[in-house]
Amino acid sequence: MAMRDLITGATSCPDPAASSSSSANPLGALANALIGSSSKTNERLKEIPTSTPTDPSSHPPPPSHFLPGSEFDKPLLDPSSHGSHFLNGFRSAAAPGGGALEETWDEIQRDARIPPQLDGGLYDRAGPPPHLQQPTLDGPPQRVLSNFLHSFLDSSRGGVPFHPAPLPMLGLSEGDKQCIRDRSSIMARHLFADKSEEFIDAQVNALLSSLDIDSNVRGKGPMPERFRELEDYWNESQGNLRLGPHPADGWITEYSQNRANLDNPDSWANSFQQQHGANGWVSEFENSQLSSMDQMHAMNMPNLAAMEQTRMLANTLAQNNDPKFQNSKFLQFVSKMSRGELIIDDNQVKETAPGDWATEYQQQYNPGHSWAGEFLNDKVSHGPDQWVSEFNDQQHGPIDDQWVNEFSKLHVGDWADEFGQQVAEGAFGESSSDNWAQAYDEYLNEQVAAKQQSDSSRGVYVFSDLNPYVGHPNPLKEGQDLFRKGLLSEAVLALEAEVLKNPENAEGWRLLGIAHAENDDDQQAIAAMMRAQEADPTNLEVLLALGVSHTNELEQTAALKYLYGWLRHHPKYGSLAPPELADSLYYADVARLFNEAAEMSPDDADVHIVLGVMYNLSREYDKAIASFQRALKLKPQDYSLWNKLGATQANSVQSADAISAYQQALDLKPNYVRAWANMGISYANQGMYDESIRYYVRALAMNPKADNAWQYLRISLSCASRNDMLEACDSRNLDLLQKEFPLQ
Amino acid sequence: MPVFKTPFNGYSVKFSPFYEDRLAVATSQNFGILGNGRLHVLSLSPNPSQPFTEIAAYDTADGIYDVSWSESHDSLLVAAVADGSVKLYDTALPPTSNPIRSLREHTREVHSADYNPLRRDSFLTSSWDDTVKLWTLDRPSSIRTFKEHSYCVYSAVWNPRHADVFASASGDCTLRVWDVREPSSTMVFPPHEFEVLTCDWNKYDDCIIATASVDKSIKVWDVRSFRVPIAVMNGHGYAVRKVRFSPHVRNLLVSCSYDMTVCVWDFMVEDALVSRYDHHTEFAVGVDMSVLVEGLMASTGWDELVYVWQHGTDPRAL
Repeated sequence: MAMRDLITGATSCPDPAASSSSSANPLGALANALIGSSSKTNERLKEIPTSTPTDPSSHPPPPSHFLPGSEFDKPLLDPSSHGSHFLNGFRSAAAPGGGALEETWDEIQRDARIPPQLDGGLYDRAGPPPHLQQPTLDGPPQRVLSNFLHSFLDSSRGGVPFHPAPLPMLGLSEGDKQCIRDRSSIMARHLFADKSEEFIDAQVNALLSSLDIDSNVRGKGPMPERFRELEDYWNESQGNLRLGPHPADGWITEYSQNRANLDNPDSWANSFQQQHGANGWVSEFENSQLSSMDQMHAMNMPNLAAMEQTRMLANTLAQNNDPKFQNSKFLQFVSKMSRGELIIDDNQVKETAPGDWATEYQQQYNPGHSWAGEFLNDKVSHGPDQWVSEFNDQQHGPIDDQWVNEFSKLHVGDWADEFGQQVAEGAFGESSSDNWAQAYDEYLNEQVAAKQQSDSSRGVYVFSDLNPYVGHPNPLKEGQDLFRKGLLSEAVLALEAEVLKNPENAEGWRLLGIAHAENDDDQQAIAAMMRAQEADPTNLEVLLALGVSHTNELEQTAALKYLYGWLRHHPKYGSLAPPELADSLYYADVARLFNEAAEMSPDDADVHIVLGVMYNLSREYDKAIASFQRALKLKPQDYSLWNKLGATQANSVQSADAISAYQQALDLKPNYVRAWANMGISYANQGMYDESIRYYVRALAMNPKADNAWQYLRISLSCASRNDMLEACDSRNLDLLQKEFPLQ
Repeated sequence: MPVFKTPFNGYSVKFSPFYEDRLAVATSQNFGILGNGRLHVLSLSPNPSQPFTEIAAYDTADGIYDVSWSESHDSLLVAAVADGSVKLYDTALPPTSNPIRSLREHTREVHSADYNPLRRDSFLTSSWDDTVKLWTLDRPSSIRTFKEHSYCVYSAVWNPRHADVFASASGDCTLRVWDVREPSSTMVFPPHEFEVLTCDWNKYDDCIIATASVDKSIKVWDVRSFRVPIAVMNGHGYAVRKVRFSPHVRNLLVSCSYDMTVCVWDFMVEDALVSRYDHHTEFAVGVDMSVLVEGLMASTGWDELVYVWQHGTDPRAL
């Protein structure tokens, strides 16, 4: 399903409960608890940027350096203590001024180990929305870490906003790392008690290797053997009652056996080596022709293994049929790792969309690399027997939740079989990599053909059934007119007729995409824009729209690709963009280029718009708002820009401001469905559910196909205790709803 | 009944022994793995539109895993902080004077705090550094350290009848019973085959203690004959995080678990499960029963919600 848009459209804070999560809004929170688990919106809720409390009654946290009692904390700041070194480092490195963040960030990357300062150092998450005056408390590093940790237990798709952030460079102190290491180990032991030690180690290692924390250094090892004294005592107390070995003994034996194998947390690697010989197939493979893969091997082996392990965990947990479990943030994190949406590459944590392999493949790797990775991955899964069985279970066992489904749709099993066959046939010849590439292409094609639902952004455009405009002499013109008049649903039909007639008409597809976006139908909007881009790969408006869409989807890689494409194809700024950069896009690089472009021509509204989008990508909402406001000074009549501003303000928990921005958009374009829906969201965020219902109903009256708005309406109805109208909502009875909730 | 949203993940909730409408909630950022902590002091109001008033909130540089109200001063709280410190807060003092103490002796995360209900000047803390420490208000350092467990001590609780006796539950799979006048533990036994995460004394029978474990079970023991448990209660789907005996009904206890539920049990009847509350959407890790209002319960969990409800009603009902 399409994630809700924050820019072209809806905010990603659609849920009243989670976004203004505070005691001021207990009803919303309650509704979330009630509805959330059964509702599809749940997924969407997860991408809410970690909200800040807005409860007026709560005490705003004092600035950290005045933290009461922090004098007591001073001993904590010796180098061995865990604490907040990286924050202190960050703060001390901060330069004044709003634009300092990038520099600061670079500086930290150069020197992650800046001596700590003396204050207690809060991880600033709570409190009022950050302001530019205190950039040091709002810098990307905390966000990266905080978000990453959340995504450890959380499914937030925007887990790593600072996209290719090398996590170790966050300046995680040894203390921080030890915290993560120890605490996650101990927690994992609680959760997976009935699993083997090996399993638990695997889970923890999966997390640790994601954070690039050395799992060999264990502060708190696994449980020691049972206390000797106790053992004697216990045996004695059992006396002659003992018939046969006491279970506890068995447990100990089993345990020590496990220990023997598991002293090294990397033991899977050892056992893998034992099974396959040290570097056995690797060297074989290497020698054949892919000399570049050894590096890949070294980098990715642990990560791929981590992925396998999380798959295993994911599978085990999937067997719990409790729907609550399947909605657990923790488990969603696990499944995310298992799907490879969180991967580590070259020491960088990356997010990829579930279906993004193809793109990743084309963008990031030469075929050899990718094969190496896939191969490794596959081998690992055939390693220790347990994994195989787990893996098989996963393929054939009861698959009853979404992510498992998604995973199985990837046909990894088939692929593995195929691979196995080839290995059996000794297919590793000089030409093997060609075969492989071919097979992989086929595999990718299959995937594309499968039209996975999860892959909404690459969805296929679905045409309306009955289209009166088919056969119209000039449907494009008709569509443009209708669009201008604000008759969006009609315009969609006319434009569909146009692109049916002229499938290569980029303008037709583009306008169709925009009409869908304004009509609050993201899936179709993206599908249309993709077709527009196919028809005209350098169309700036299309590239920008796609960049925005993918930002909404929190698909940073793809978003960067299109935004960078925009820059590269721009007649004025094309020279700024070195073509070689296109192979490895980093957020910081692209942001820098756009800042250069903005300096070059400060009066170009488009540049500021793109910058605003970029800052949404990194969740620097204050900067994003500033950029959009600047663009609006230049283009005050751009209604979609007002909507972008509103959505960004909503995301930075300024719902009241957002409403006035949406109002501006609606004044300019009264039939702007998306702005009506967004308005509803902002009211809901402020706990004004009655108002929000009226706006949703209004939006739906204009476009009953806006599925998202139906879901939001349902939430608001529950929050407003209008359960009597839920049935009308479920049956999509607009007449009744409009009668009940007229917009004054 | 009321629900309160905390910005961080809930870890523990405790009713005040002095005011029936007051409770304290310990929370930790990022599920307690890394980040800040915040201690909330909340007051329940009869006004349904604003069911909670936050009396105070205190931030710490690391997560807070547990909190205990003082039995001697109505405004005093002890917080168990993940950075190894034990912090005392007085809600009667301005925020700038808090915490009034930060006791730094534990070398690892402090996981529990329990105020002595009889000798009201002392309290216990237990830590992942395998020790239990005994403190009094008037001393800057601990009176005694109890170091016999060989793994994390998750919980240490005073006996409600004997001012010198307490029990400790540890990840080394044992429960120990101590008398602070004795040089070493007076009793040790393995209530479960897996880590013991929590224990609590019966409030009516000073020899009965309940333990719960990652093995998903809750067991009730008579410490005089601990070879066989009085009762074994299965029903949780994952590790049981906390058990508390009812202050009002002898045979009643409440538990919460990583299976996200809160359960009430009557350990003397065959079909022990009395109610199962399914209101949390993430791991339920903190639960308490009010001493002052019979049947009033509170729970918190990693879904960042605190619920207060009357036993027998739906916590989510408004």
